[in-house]
Amino acid sequence: MLRYATEALESVPGVRLIGTAPGKVAALSFLMEAAHPHDVGTIVDSEGVAIRTGHHCAQPVMEHFGIAATARASLGMYNTTDDIDALVRALEKVRELFA
Amino acid sequence: MDLRELYQEVILDHGKNPRNHRFPEPYNREGRGYNPLCGDKITLRLQLDGDRITDIGFIGQGCAISQASCSTMTEALKGKTVGDAEALFEKFHALVTGDGGSGDEIEELGKLAVFAGVREFPMRVKCATLGWHTLNQALHDEEGVAKTE
Repeated sequence: MLRYATEALESVPGVRLIGTAPGKVAALSFLMEAAHPHDVGTIVDSEGVAIRTGHHCAQPVMEHFGIAATARASLGMYNTTDDIDALVRALEKVRELFA
Repeated sequence: MDLRELYQEVILDHGKNPRNHRFPEPYNREGRGYNPLCGDKITLRLQLDGDRITDIGFIGQGCAISQASCSTMTEALKGKTVGDAEALFEKFHALVTGDGGSGDEIEELGKLAVFAGVREFPMRVKCATLGWHTLNQALHDEEGVAKTE
């Protein structure tokens, strides 16, 4: 599932994954070139996809990467590949709106 | 609701290319704003000659809403008096929080009225008001950082 999601997100132009260590948990933090994480969050929310945005109470790591915030999708056992596809479609909306 | 209501063209434009995104020289007032929950940070500087804001600019980073709000705010305030600025803040705050705001008041807001859609997104009210809270701090020369949390 994580592999599917990673590849799916990497297929979206302008998406940069933050944190790609092997064996990591199924959480995908990312940035979009087109929009700030909070704008990404609001738009994907309106498409029915819940993600978290902000510094995730991890300010030292944010400082390390030199960023203020990320968008983050976390997967649970109840998620399916359809959910990932819905996220990717929502990210396309972000690109459309902020093009 | 339609996202275009929130992300109006003016907001997208000002978010991408903020106006007055520079520090005025000289300046005699400074305010710093920080939203610890989202990480948005801005520094606002202005030149106050007597009671009038003769120049104003900001440097900062944040989402499209916060950047566009600072940008349109600086445009609206250049040449205004402190009293004008405070009255405008009050109307703007009412607009984005949905506490009424008559037709006349919205008209007085001019371009700032594009932020009306924010009231449908309570999470984003703080993005829209960060610049204004920072202005308040700068005008009253308060110590510290204006926080929207």
